Amino acid sequence: MSPKASDVWQGTLALMVLRTLDTMGPLHGYGIARRIEQTSGDRLSVKYGTLYPALLKLEQQGFVASSWDVSDNNRRAKFYRLTRAGRKQLEKEAGEWQQTTAILARFLPDSGDHS
Amino acid sequence: MSALRTLLARVAGLFHRGRRDRELDEEFELHLAMQIEDNLRAGMTPAAARRDALLSAGGVESAKESYRDQRGLPWLEALGQDVRYSLRMIRKAPGFAAVVILTLALGIGANTAIFSVVHAALTPLAIPEPDRVVMVWTDNLTRDWHEFPASAADYVDWRASGVFSSLGAFDNIGVNVRAGDATVRVNGARVTAGFFGALATPAQAGRVLGDADMRPGHDQAVVISDRLWRSLFHADPAIVDASVVVDGAPRTVVGVLPPRFPRLGQEDLYVPMALTPAEAADRASRSLGVVGRLSPGLGFAAAQQRIARIAADQARQYPDDAGNTARLQRAGDAYVEDARALLALLFGAVGFVLLIACANIANLLLARGAARTREIAIRAALGGGRWRLVRQLLTENVVLAAIGGAVALAPAVWGLRFVAAAHVDELPNADLIGLDARVLVFNFALAVVTGVVFGAAPAWLAWKTDVNGALKATGVASGRAGWHQRFRSAFVVAELALTLVLLVGAGLMVQSFVRARAADPGYRSANVLTMDVALSARQYDSPDRQAAFFAQVLDRARELPGVVAASAVDELPTSDSLHGGGLFFPGRPDPRTVDIPIVLVNSVTSDYFKVMQIPLVRGRAFDRRDGKDAPRAVIIDRWTAERYWPGRNPVGQQVRLGRQQPPREIVGVVGALGQPVFVKLVKGRLGQAYLPIAQAPKPKMSLAFRVEGDPSSIVPAVRAAVRGVDVDQPIFKVQTMDEARAAGRASLRLATSLLGAFAVVALLLAAIGLYGLMTYNVGQRTREYGIRLSLGARPADVLGLAVRQALVLMTAGLAVGLAGALALTRVMSSLLYGIGATDPATFAGVTGVLAIVGLVAGGLPARRATRVDPAITLRAD
Repeated sequence: MSPKASDVWQGTLALMVLRTLDTMGPLHGYGIARRIEQTSGDRLSVKYGTLYPALLKLEQQGFVASSWDVSDNNRRAKFYRLTRAGRKQLEKEAGEWQQTTAILARFLPDSGDHS
Repeated sequence: MSALRTLLARVAGLFHRGRRDRELDEEFELHLAMQIEDNLRAGMTPAAARRDALLSAGGVESAKESYRDQRGLPWLEALGQDVRYSLRMIRKAPGFAAVVILTLALGIGANTAIFSVVHAALTPLAIPEPDRVVMVWTDNLTRDWHEFPASAADYVDWRASGVFSSLGAFDNIGVNVRAGDATVRVNGARVTAGFFGALATPAQAGRVLGDADMRPGHDQAVVISDRLWRSLFHADPAIVDASVVVDGAPRTVVGVLPPRFPRLGQEDLYVPMALTPAEAADRASRSLGVVGRLSPGLGFAAAQQRIARIAADQARQYPDDAGNTARLQRAGDAYVEDARALLALLFGAVGFVLLIACANIANLLLARGAARTREIAIRAALGGGRWRLVRQLLTENVVLAAIGGAVALAPAVWGLRFVAAAHVDELPNADLIGLDARVLVFNFALAVVTGVVFGAAPAWLAWKTDVNGALKATGVASGRAGWHQRFRSAFVVAELALTLVLLVGAGLMVQSFVRARAADPGYRSANVLTMDVALSARQYDSPDRQAAFFAQVLDRARELPGVVAASAVDELPTSDSLHGGGLFFPGRPDPRTVDIPIVLVNSVTSDYFKVMQIPLVRGRAFDRRDGKDAPRAVIIDRWTAERYWPGRNPVGQQVRLGRQQPPREIVGVVGALGQPVFVKLVKGRLGQAYLPIAQAPKPKMSLAFRVEGDPSSIVPAVRAAVRGVDVDQPIFKVQTMDEARAAGRASLRLATSLLGAFAVVALLLAAIGLYGLMTYNVGQRTREYGIRLSLGARPADVLGLAVRQALVLMTAGLAVGLAGALALTRVMSSLLYGIGATDPATFAGVTGVLAIVGLVAGGLPARRATRVDPAITLRAD
């Protein structure tokens, strides 16, 4: 994987994580991965190697916070939730992303229809 | 904001790594478990569920790795790892590390010490806008004047030119200052108000001298240096406006200068210089230093042009100034001028020593690198990135160098103390020499750079490592060996070349030193004690009283046990204070001004020639006949006699010493003295004339006693004798004549001892380097030698084979070194005495020395080649 592609992936993954936490509320890593895969219609697979560093980075940036809690099936798990800064970041990035896709859509008029 | 937050979080991530790792494991396990459960729920068999979960999760270990990278600061952790690994390597090979660290400590320490000296010397003058302050010098090509002082009339003309916002004149004087019941001799300067105006630095207490202090009758104010204030007045703040006794007269201290006020001479006390109208018109005598601050907006070059034009006008207008030109020099340059050659020489020499040390260590590392080829190849094969490997090797070397740099502080402190204690007057700001922050930064930076420099070759080889080849080969046969060899040979050649340059430099210095020591000064300095006595002009206002004082002192001294002869002279032959005059011959037409021969003139007492054992060649020495009212007499030296009365007897001839002076009869001819000072000051040499003290008394005289046994044993008795005549007159500069001669050679001695030491270290390092390389080479070719010997080669053939390589390296090193030495020794010509910078004998001699050392160092391992036992070597491997 070339570094450029990874950057883009990392950037979009962060947005997906923030969005997932926004709609679902606090989730553990596995839940986030699952949810993203489901939302993408199983067209994406999220691996440890990209998910957990991305979560850590978001945490370091202050966009998500984590705490250990008990999951539905009584397991101790690390739950991630969106912070206020994270919500702001989500709005900002979502806006930027929509703008980017809108612009790109003008260059690639058919891209939305066939897949 | 977010970036800073991330950085802080990542720094925090460097700690509690164990707990964080456990948490990560737990998180991953949970992830895996949940995935398996989901898979089971979807109907997979347990084995398939697990397999699928592991596959879809991706590599756990690499995930952890990238997680850890995000958590902390990977480069910092890698650096920490590298450093820890380096320390482990050092512990594993302590002998090797010790050799490297000690070599480096010597090299870096010497550089740090010399840097401290250079740094101190180049510290800008502690005055506002030091670049705007200039000295004004007079040159005269036809009279061989270089940087001559100005006449008072020059100064007045220049001051009126508008080139300077402030222009000051100064000359150095000695004064007697009484503090409590002791009187001490202090170097002073007479200065005009413009002197302090040009330097524009306020006093730290009180005020500096101004125009109001220069009026005749109101010139009682003096200003003292910080040094004098501390040493003589115990830093007493009440000194300002206090009265002190200077030359027996009460003066008022109006100010204390700041500690770093530039002392253009070595002066500690400043008195006003009031020029009378007659003095201000004097163009004949030149004794004034001139320092000025350029007018605002006027550039250095423009100011230089305007001053040159004024000087050209003066030269046309006044016969005394014919041929003169004037030149500006930045005051800061004037300050370091004398030291420049010495500093360049020392800095160059220590730089060479460090380069040689680097080459040697690089060679050691390469030799060790051969042994580590496999380690590096294995690590590369296991996925160690090339960068990572190179970085680790460099880190290892920088760690070594950093330790070396830290250890180097010990020799550095020792070295800079040694230089500071050498009391070389030419070295400016010797008080600033020390380990300050900048010197420490230099030391550290140098250590790091050094580590990178000597680590570059092994690191480069690691970069080029051919993993396949290195893993398969036994070490010798890989292509890398060729590079190794080439690097190491190049280093040895460079070492030899650098060493030769240093040896030539040291050889020239040692020869200069020996020649300066052995040079016949024209007198016998052994068993002579000298001391200076300067009478205060107020207490001894008439020449008669001055002469009477010295006559009395000498009479008492002659009675002392151990004193063979006692005499006085106004300036000892070792003094750099010169008094000269034109030599005129009555009856011959006066030549043009520029052609008038100049002779040095000294006043002496009758026994001076006896004390100094200057031989009388013709006529007689001075005696009681040459009293104040007797016919005027003069004694000339043999050089003057032969030059102006070739083949004739000058005794009985008349001369005048100065156009307006009365004629004197030559009564004797004495041996000529060596004139080392003039070799520098004026090209060629000057004649010497002596006047009887009664006919030319001086208030300051140097007493000289010839003593039986140790000259310093009579010091207390002579002191007592002088005090017995007048307790108020200080004795200073008490030294044996041998010491006085040595003092003049301080910078020569310093340069010689340092350069000599550097050269010896260099020679040692180069020998070790060559020896090491040859030992390695012979070791590598043992098998080949064994085969040759078993096939019938004689030991001599094998020896020749081994020696040939050493010879090639040496020839290359010597050739490069000789070329370098020819190019570089020129910078030291001003430090040399009685020997040219390209003296063929020195070049040949040191080349021979290096060749012999090189042959021994290279030949010993070669001899080992002949003792190879074919039976054993062929079985090896």
